[in-house]
Amino acid sequence: MEETVNHVYQKELFDRLAKSVGLKKGEECFGCYLKPALWWIIEKPNPKPNELEKIIACNCAYLKRSKNKNKARCIKDVNDHIKTAAREKKLVLFECHEGLHGFIYPIMQGDKHYGYIGACYAKKDVTPQILDIFATFTDTIVREIQKELELSKLYETIRPRAIALSTVHTVHRLISSTLNLHELLPRVARLSLQIMRANRCSIKLVDARKKTLLPKATIDLREKRTRLKKVKVGKYAPGKAVKFGRPIRGEDFLATPLIDEDVIGVITLYDKVDDKPFTAFDQEIMSTLAEQAVIAIKNAQLYKEQERLTLGSIKSLAAVLESRAPGTYVPKASFLKIAVAIGQDMHLDAEGLKSLEYAAILHDAGEIFVPETVLSKPDKLTGKEYEMVKEHPAAGVTIIRHIKALKTVMPIILYHHENYDGSGYPKGLKKDQIPVGARIMAVVSAFEAMIAKRPYRTPKTIEEATEEIRSHSGTQFDPKVVDIFLKVIRRKDVRAALSKEVKIDAPGNGARHAFNGDIAEYTGGKIQ
Amino acid sequence: MNLEAVFNSPTHRKIIQFFHENQASIDTPKGVATWVGEDRLKVKDALEDLVDIGILTPHRSTSTTGYGYTRDSKLIRKIERLLK
Repeated sequence: MEETVNHVYQKELFDRLAKSVGLKKGEECFGCYLKPALWWIIEKPNPKPNELEKIIACNCAYLKRSKNKNKARCIKDVNDHIKTAAREKKLVLFECHEGLHGFIYPIMQGDKHYGYIGACYAKKDVTPQILDIFATFTDTIVREIQKELELSKLYETIRPRAIALSTVHTVHRLISSTLNLHELLPRVARLSLQIMRANRCSIKLVDARKKTLLPKATIDLREKRTRLKKVKVGKYAPGKAVKFGRPIRGEDFLATPLIDEDVIGVITLYDKVDDKPFTAFDQEIMSTLAEQAVIAIKNAQLYKEQERLTLGSIKSLAAVLESRAPGTYVPKASFLKIAVAIGQDMHLDAEGLKSLEYAAILHDAGEIFVPETVLSKPDKLTGKEYEMVKEHPAAGVTIIRHIKALKTVMPIILYHHENYDGSGYPKGLKKDQIPVGARIMAVVSAFEAMIAKRPYRTPKTIEEATEEIRSHSGTQFDPKVVDIFLKVIRRKDVRAALSKEVKIDAPGNGARHAFNGDIAEYTGGKIQ
Repeated sequence: MNLEAVFNSPTHRKIIQFFHENQASIDTPKGVATWVGEDRLKVKDALEDLVDIGILTPHRSTSTTGYGYTRDSKLIRKIERLLK
């Protein structure tokens, strides 16, 4: 292999040397002094006599007209001088026929010896100084070519690796940017297909209890697609990759295990687009990608677990509050649905929607600090009582402030009683000063309060409550949120959920005031 | 832009050449700009032009977009001819 590489390098070196403009000019320039010189390049460190004869004797005017024995002697002499130049690693001057001169300059790089550049049949008064200049000149040209070759070799070897590294880095960025497992796995599959130029990719995760691999994401670009299948650990390429914890490669498949502490799954690729077999390099690249995928999958799983814990804490908190005033704090699925639907229509991101959902469960959690007598008072509230009630958004924030994951929920809870025209509480914020989540929550919680049953008033119908919301658009509520709310409330699925939940709402549930600023008047919670 | 028009733009052409020579590559606008030696913003716009006509496939995420080469073998053959 090394010899082949050297041979290629040597050939490239002499090709470039032959084409070198600098060398040609040098020959012209030195030719003035050396005339009538015969220039030659020997592309081997140990040329054979017949090769020398081909190069020199065929072009030398003297040898052409000489007898064979002179020719043989000449070739032998040149061969001896070549050996001397190689041994001494320097320019060798020699006497040629008819009192003319010749010289041989070895082309070397460190200890590596590639060939010779030389001339013979040069006029006899060539001075050593001229030859010295020629040697330096030739050396410079050769070094320049060698550097060019080195650079081009580096370019050829390093550039593809740098591009591959850059691809791996990009893939890492793309798969690390999501913590949603349902989004992550298809993304890993698509990227694997793109990098491997394959037609099908399947990602399976291990179900340790059943010792099977469950298909989680498959992308199949062929016309005739394969159905998703469970695979037993140890069976087929994916099962074997998981069992042995190492890649399993065939001509038309490559199964790469996803290894954390244990094997958690496998990425399997099938059929390259160009019908070529999967290579060791493909295996190396996929192993790197699998390492990154494992980290991203573990992160997504941890994030999901953390979300579950957060939701569990919220639900526990809601259950505690619920035990105090049954039917009060556990929001109906339909209201959560309305809140999230409005959020989606307002292009809130995943985190914003999650915060809205959590806030919908906890927005009135602070009422736990309001005396029970005030909350269930069937009569009008006194000014003092109303002041107590106005504290509940801040109190709600106090309850959740130690849960870091709910940081984005706090502004929604704190400002969900602010009015669009600035007449709300606690700060009297206006328009865009009110966080968007809080503006959505204001509409949804007012709607919820109006249609909920209260001991002190008859609940409004969905149509009446909707009309109340519409009539306060631009004053109490953000008109944009109201517009979206009106659209959402007409949706069949929302209507169905609402009708079902409002109908089953037991009497006595929701026994509290709807402290929703102005809307309190409409819902019966009048203030003295 | 159509296929012939993109080949008349030096930036687009360089990008196509890069992806044609490195068909397994996926890179960001910044990465591609480095490989083709062009301005990042210019490359960013050109990449989207190439997505529009199907030469590149975008892999979008919240933080960045990775671009990869088309898998359409007919289109790849056509590009091969145009690059020559």
